[in-house]
Amino acid sequence: MNFQSAIGMLAGGSIPGPDLLNGAQIAGVTIAGLGIVFAGLVILVFVIFLFGKLFDAINKKTAKKQADAMAKSAPKTAPAPKVAAPAPQAAPAPAAADDDEVIAVISAVVAAMSAADGKTYKVRSVKPAVSSSLSGRTAWAMDGRRNNVMPF
Amino acid sequence: MEILNILKDILLGLWETSGLYGLLDSPEKLIMIGISFVFMYLAIVKEFEPLLLVPISFGMFLTNLPAVLPEDFMYHAEFWTMEQNADWLFTVLHDGGLLDKLYLGVKLQIYPCLIFLGIGTMTDFGPLIANPKSFLLGAAAQGGIFFTFVAAALMGMSAAECGSIAIIGGADGPTAIYVSSKLLGNGANYNVSTGTIALAAYTYMALVPVIQPFFMKLLTTKKERAIKMPQLRQVSKTEKIIFPIVVTLVVALLVPSAGALVGMLMFGNLLKESGVCARLVDTAQNALMNIVTIFLGISVGATTTADNILNPAFAKIMFLGVVAFSLGTVSGLLLAKLMNFLTGGKINPLIGSAGVSAVPMAARISQKVGAQTDPTNFLLMHAMGPNVAGVIGSAVAAGVLLSVVAY
Repeated sequence: MNFQSAIGMLAGGSIPGPDLLNGAQIAGVTIAGLGIVFAGLVILVFVIFLFGKLFDAINKKTAKKQADAMAKSAPKTAPAPKVAAPAPQAAPAPAAADDDEVIAVISAVVAAMSAADGKTYKVRSVKPAVSSSLSGRTAWAMDGRRNNVMPF
Repeated sequence: MEILNILKDILLGLWETSGLYGLLDSPEKLIMIGISFVFMYLAIVKEFEPLLLVPISFGMFLTNLPAVLPEDFMYHAEFWTMEQNADWLFTVLHDGGLLDKLYLGVKLQIYPCLIFLGIGTMTDFGPLIANPKSFLLGAAAQGGIFFTFVAAALMGMSAAECGSIAIIGGADGPTAIYVSSKLLGNGANYNVSTGTIALAAYTYMALVPVIQPFFMKLLTTKKERAIKMPQLRQVSKTEKIIFPIVVTLVVALLVPSAGALVGMLMFGNLLKESGVCARLVDTAQNALMNIVTIFLGISVGATTTADNILNPAFAKIMFLGVVAFSLGTVSGLLLAKLMNFLTGGKINPLIGSAGVSAVPMAARISQKVGAQTDPTNFLLMHAMGPNVAGVIGSAVAAGVLLSVVAY
């Protein structure tokens, strides 16, 4: 009934299916079973973790390269769209043109509204809303997210 | 006069081979038909895993229809306890009924693996790749399998029966069918059949929303349930493509007997992630999956004959099944609590219960219970990691059981 005999019993389908199990066999199956499942998945944790690190490093390198290339080619021509370009760093700060566009859209909506109820409105200023509540999300974003998850 | 005699013979012959005559011979079939109606009710009205329980319960109904002549039965339990050799295969193909022939796909472990192929094409391992620690929770929830093994053994079950019942704790239907059809198919007479194991597994999978929240609330504090986890990192396409290959390699090197299940799961996933096999993915996750589900369900249902169900062993299976699900949930939760403690409060213990592989139900439960405590908490993607890891974990556990118990 020692540990070694329990492990010995586990070697290659050594417990006949129709047999009843003794204490050592039960303990052996449980310990070895959980042990192997954990060992297998712990190995996977490490492998996948290492892969993640590796890919992060590679991605950073290519992102940097692309950013450099963009910076170089920018004065001459618009950069050709690269496959899977990591946009975040390459995107410049929101240009004034974008703001104008947004303001035009908002003004159009306001104009449409004023046509509907007969009054006239004027857009005096447009400011980005900063919400400190609800984990940094606006109430609208929050509600949208909740709606998306609700079916679950 | 002669015409009357012939007519009498014909009518008598028809009567003596009729189902009604057969019913006089084995009235227990009526009870079985009644039980199949109960499962049909659960599937259709209560919507308990209807895609599987409707075929299973109808298979149960068909297999228990009374008949007299052996060739009139659609399923023959005696074929599946014979010694399996070339003669056996000929007997099944020649003398078997329709459900016998469909059951060959279960017996030869074709259907569960094809279902896994389909599941692979529908699974996104992204959350698991982004947070590989989830693998640990997927492993912990397999405690349900091995602790139930102990419980079954203590209740005086044989090794093959223990293994088949324990695998219910994996909360994974195809894996349970795969393991039980292998373990119970060596010609010996068991009180447990693949059909009864599948019935228990799918019934309890449908009851996950009832079983899990109780333990989740029991074992966690309100403060723990409110823990918010940081957003997962973005996973690149290359990582998603390499993942199935690496997992197959690691699992097959460790537990080759899990190779078929994990191999097909990961093959399906590679088809999906490669992005170049859209047609194959479409077939695997729709047409093929549905066809196999129909065949699997109806033929697994056919194995539920009277001597399997009207048997104290069935009550034991149903009891141990709920024990298995509960233990799996508890093991996952406890490890998640430990991880939360070790990381200084960064892991919401609710994602631990998602380590049982009922995908995506268990992850939804984590999300739901988390949102009950704090509506602004979104645990779904964090729970998907342990959830898909649980599928891999239970396939590995299945491999261990298959390599330990002879069949």
